[in-house]
Parts: sequence; C-alpha cells; structure tokens
Amino acid sequence: MSGLKRMMLGAIAAGLMAGVAPAKADFWADAGKDLAGTTIRGVSESTPPSNYVKDVLAPAFTKATGINVEFEATSWDQMYDKAIKDMEANTGIYDFVYIEQDAVYGYLARDFLVDLTKFFEENPKLKAPDYDPANFTTFANYFKGKDGDLFGVPMEAFIKVYLYRKDLFEDPEVKAAFKAKYNRDLAPAKTHAEYTEIADFFTQWGKDKGIELWGTTVQANTGHPSSWYEYVETVAPTFGVYNWGIDAANNYAATVEHGGKMNSPEAKAALEYWLALLKNAPPESTASTWDEVAATFGAGRAAQGLVYGENAAWIATDANKSKVVGKVGVALPPVEPGVMEAAEAGTGYIGYYDGGAFGIPHSSKNKAAAALFLEYIAQPSVQADWAVAGSRITLQGTYDDPKVKAQDAKTDGYYTLMRDQGKLFAGAPPYPFHNQLRETVAPIFYQAITGELSASDALDQMAAASEAELTKLGYRK
Amino acid sequence: MRSQSVGWLFLAPTLLILFVFGVWPFVYVTVISFFHWNSFAADPTMRFAGLGNYRELVFDKGFLMALWNTLKFGVFAVVSQIILGYLLAQLFMKDFPFKGFFRTIHTLPLMIAPVAVGATWRLMTVPGLGPIPYYLDKWFGYEFLISRYVGQAFLTTVVMDIWHWTPLVTLTLLAALSSMPKEPFEQAQIDGANRVQTFWYVTLPMLKPAILSAVFIRLMDAMRTVDEVWMLTGGGPGAATRYIGLYIWRVVFPKTDYGYGSAMSLITLYLTIVLCWLLYAGLVARRDLRKPE
Repeated sequence: MSGLKRMMLGAIAAGLMAGVAPAKADFWADAGKDLAGTTIRGVSESTPPSNYVKDVLAPAFTKATGINVEFEATSWDQMYDKAIKDMEANTGIYDFVYIEQDAVYGYLARDFLVDLTKFFEENPKLKAPDYDPANFTTFANYFKGKDGDLFGVPMEAFIKVYLYRKDLFEDPEVKAAFKAKYNRDLAPAKTHAEYTEIADFFTQWGKDKGIELWGTTVQANTGHPSSWYEYVETVAPTFGVYNWGIDAANNYAATVEHGGKMNSPEAKAALEYWLALLKNAPPESTASTWDEVAATFGAGRAAQGLVYGENAAWIATDANKSKVVGKVGVALPPVEPGVMEAAEAGTGYIGYYDGGAFGIPHSSKNKAAAALFLEYIAQPSVQADWAVAGSRITLQGTYDDPKVKAQDAKTDGYYTLMRDQGKLFAGAPPYPFHNQLRETVAPIFYQAITGELSASDALDQMAAASEAELTKLGYRK
Repeated sequence: MRSQSVGWLFLAPTLLILFVFGVWPFVYVTVISFFHWNSFAADPTMRFAGLGNYRELVFDKGFLMALWNTLKFGVFAVVSQIILGYLLAQLFMKDFPFKGFFRTIHTLPLMIAPVAVGATWRLMTVPGLGPIPYYLDKWFGYEFLISRYVGQAFLTTVVMDIWHWTPLVTLTLLAALSSMPKEPFEQAQIDGANRVQTFWYVTLPMLKPAILSAVFIRLMDAMRTVDEVWMLTGGGPGAATRYIGLYIWRVVFPKTDYGYGSAMSLITLYLTIVLCWLLYAGLVARRDLRKPE
C-alpha cells in the first residue's frame, strides 16, 4: 500500500471516528452544558457496588458533564434514616436516593419518587442515546409502578448464594475423612440435613487440626435486623415459608390460627434448624450482619455459608481483602423436599434476590442533573467493570461481556448461576410496612437467638405481634 | 423603662434560641403525642388519639422492659461512678510522682465523643478480633461474648459508661475537696475522730452538694444514653441493653410511629424529673426539714 493510500485511508478512518465516537461523548457534554457546576447529592448503603459508583462512576460523570456528585455511602440504617427523613420533610437535601428492593413499595405508597418514564418523555433532550430501559434484567420490574412506569434505575442486583470452600471440599484427606464418617461423598449440600452434617464435620475438623475453622457462617446479630432478614428471606423460604409467613391475600394473616404461616410447623422447623447452626459457627456470628458474614468467609473462618452475592467477587478474587482467593465454590442453597420443584414451577422461591436502584425524590432540587446521572450509570459501556468489581448485574447484555465471563470463571460461575438460576430467587414481598413490621418482631426474634425464648415461642409471639401491628397500621381489618 | 427595654433587647437572642430549640419542639412533641401518626400506615395522616398513645404505653412490655433496664443501668453506673470518682479525687489530692500526667490521662475519655467510645469498645469486645475476649479466653478460659450473653452485655455497657464518665465525677469532687477549709478536719482530729468518722461526719456532709450535682447530671445522662450503647450492642442481645433512648429512637425513626414515640419521650422526661425530684426530696429536703430551728 502506497503512502498516499495509507494517508487517505487514515483520513477516512479518522473522519469516521470523528463522526461516530464524539456523538456519544457530545451528548453528555451537551446535556451537561446548562447544568455544569451544579452539585447533586445522593445517599446509598456502603456496599461494593455503591462504592464503585462513588469512586469510579461519579468522578467519570463529573468529567463528562461538569456536574458535581456528592455521594454519601453510609451504613444501611443511616441510609434509610437519612433518605426517608429527607423525602418526608421535603427538604431536598438528596437528588438521588438508594431504593432497596424491599423499600420500594413503601416509597411508592408515599409517592416519594419521580416517575422516570414520564420524566424522560417530558424531557426528551435529557434522554441519553445509550439509555434504554429495555436493556435491564427483569429485576427492574420491582421498581415499576402499577402502570409499568419505572421509578428507579437498578444499580445492583444479586442473589444470596451458598458459598463453600472448594479447596477443602476437594481435599483428598478431607474427602476421605468425611466419607469415613458419613458414608457419602463430600459435596455441597442439597438438603438442610446435609448442610448440618457438613457444618458439624468442619467444626470438628477445625478443632482436631487446631485451626480457626468452623462449619458455617450464620448472620445472627442479636441487636441488628440482619439476623431476622437471614431467617425470613434466606432460610424460611427453603422450608416453604414465603413472604415472611404472611398471607397478604388473607387479610394479612400471620398466625396459623388465621391462615398465616409465620408460626407454622415449617417455620418452626426452619428457625430451629438455623439456630442449631450457631454451634457450628464462629463466635462472631451473633455480632455479624451481612458485612461481617462476608468478612468471616473471606477470612477463611468458615467452610460454607449463605453470603450476599455482592461480596462474591471480592471474596473469590481480591487478594488484598480475602484469604480464600481461588478457593471459593458457588452453589444453590440447600432446600427441603418439594421446595425446589415449587420454585421451578414459579409457586415458590429458594432465596433472596437482592438489590436496589437509584431514584429521584420529588423533593430534589436538581432533577435534570440527577436524571442524567442515573442514565450515565445505566449505560451498557460502564456495566462490565462495575459487575466485575461488585458482582452485580442489572443489564441483560452484561452477562456476555468478556470481562464478566473471565470473572465468572474466577468466581466458580457465580454470574452464570445468577443468570440461569436467578428465577428461583425472589425479592421481598410487596409490603409498604416493611420497616414497621420488622421493628415489631425483630426484638422477639433476637430473644430466640440468645435462648431467652424457644424457636416455637418466639414465632408464636412474632406472629401475634405482627397481626397486632398490622391492625394498628390499618392494613389488617 | 428604657433600661428594661435594653435588657429585653439583650435577652432577645437567647430567648429566641430557647423558644426555637426548646419550647417549640416541646410543644410540638406534646401535640403529636395525642395523635396516631405513622407515615407508612394505611392512612398516613394524623388522627386524633386522645390519650390512646399513653394508654398503650402502660401495656407495652418492650417499653416497660426498656425503662427497667435503663433504671438498672443508671443505678449501677452512677453509684459506681460516684464511688470511683471519690476515690480517684482523694488520690489526686495527694502528692505522687507524675501526678499531673496521670490526672491529664484520666480525663481523656471525657474528650471522646460517645459514638467513638462505643465504636472503640465494640472493637475491643468483638469476638475473633477484640483483645478483651481474646485474653479472657487465653488467661482464664472464660468465654466473653456480649452478642450472646445478656448479663455480659449489660455489664459491659455499664463498665463502658463508668470508663467514659467517671472522670467528670472525679473532677467535680476534686474541685469540691480542694476548696474545703482545713479547720473542720483539724477540729475532728483534735476531738479524736477516726478516719471513718471524719469521712462520715465531716467530709461527706461538706461534699454533699458536689455529690448531688454529679448524681443529677449523670442520672439524667444515663436516662438518655443512646449513641454509646447503639454502637456497642445495638440494644442487644435480645432486649438486654435496649435502654429507653434506643427504644424511643427505634419507634420514632425506623418504625416511623411519631405519635407513640412522642408520648414515650414525654413520659420518659416526666419520669426523669420525678426521679431527680425524689432524690432531691430524699437526700436534701428531708435533711433540711430535720434541721433544728
């Protein structure tokens, strides 16, 4: 090829590049032109996906648009407290707030949030070329109103999975010892009985070897609602107790007497099973929330556990934070007979599909800038790195990205499991009284963990207290 | 007349602040306490409840338990702080090497924010990481697990409060001891009083105003303890350290039950005033009544 031809081709290529690439870049610069210098404020729970937004996406957005982002990543309790107070008092401190999947129903009932579908219809100039709600996974449906309009842009979605120490499960010495003791091969548990056996085995193994290893993690904090969540969202469904044991269609009945299942024999079996795991859990378990459970597993102190998937990536791949890099296996949680079949048939579920979205409160004073930010984080181009860092996926196309596929291999197929088996999991029930009911029953639940109440008594009291509270709130007639 | 106007003018900013941050919130809370108001109820508007919220309080096991826990916490913490504070004050009255250094060190906890104190104690007590459970297990084979054992959790919150606030009592009593005249003590020595008699009949009566001040301040503080305990135990395990401040916080904020929470706040304020009045009546007014004319 002659030098002239090369130059001409180069010029054509440069021209094409100039014609295509800046088109996208220009949108953010153009859209941000009138808003440059504006500062938008947001609040979210401090999680790996949120911290990625704070550290990477927010600065990139500022660079692209000139709009500053003050991103507050705080504790779960504080996040709720600050967001709700701001929206209730209409103070307009926050321009975007984290909407946890289980909180969205309360927020919609109170009409706290801007209808994003309508907002972009009314402001077509703010519609980014890359933003397309059709790209979202079905998790986005949790953030839709009755008419199908979107009220939050999903920013994280993950399942609570069964993590196990693959290195231990595949160790010939361990396998032989397990087989000798239980007369079966060591493999990730499919049932609760198997899970308990494995927990017993590894706790004893740790004692015998003089190492700090226990059979399981348990999210059993005795003063924080995370323990109650582990029971109602993760354990009870695997025993066939769904939606916290409350039958919304039956006048929000919670007690067996009135048609609920909160204190049913299945619920009591679930709580007894879970409480019995404590003897095989590290001592920090009764002080552990979701964060500490992940830290316990990452520190190599438990052979297996049910861990929020947002932590799967760092536990399996980040050697700066985790001692079990390359040693993590991923599986579906153990279930009682019949529960998996019900989940596959769509009449039940086997665990929690967690996540959240960012929404714009009506009280926001910078809705246009906030809307641009939400579109920015929903672009397909930013998803892969975010998914790798925070093991979250909100766009269907992200699963096929080479970076995600590479990370999938390092996490023993966590992403594939979420894509293929995510349908077996479910978000929280659509109750607008989420916090109110939790605060009513959680103190009773804590007493079951400390042994002040038996599992049976605790659930009886919780069911009765639930009905009383729902009556007081006006939902139960 | 003019001087009165000038006086009111100077007072105005203080009165305004007092009204905005003291009187108005009190009136607002009082009004709300007579309403059912939960923003996440089926009907989120305010509905007049009369004395309904107050009636509910009487049968609320959680509230009564929180109240009882708070009283226990207050009594254990304040009594310990007074005794330890007195002993430390007496120690600092004597001369010993590096006295100034130790006196400074001993007051350092006072400068730490309660939330930081709670976080520090949490780090010290968390199993698998904290030194306290580690060494108790290593040296004595004692399982220290405040997230599971109710008694340990309660005791730890008391000890934390003692650690944080004893220096305040020490400084109060040290100031009182330093300003005492020598004559009564010399007189007692001449009369042949032993150390116990001197303490009981001379030191204690003269210290009484300072002790009462410390008791009142610390008791009122104990009744509204929230942040330290929130950080350390979150109110657990179970309801063991769910003191009244924490209980009210949970009702008002996560539960958004504003009417009921307001009623609870007012009753707690009332009970604190009654408690202080009873103490005053028992320890001061009765003695004054018995004084010969």
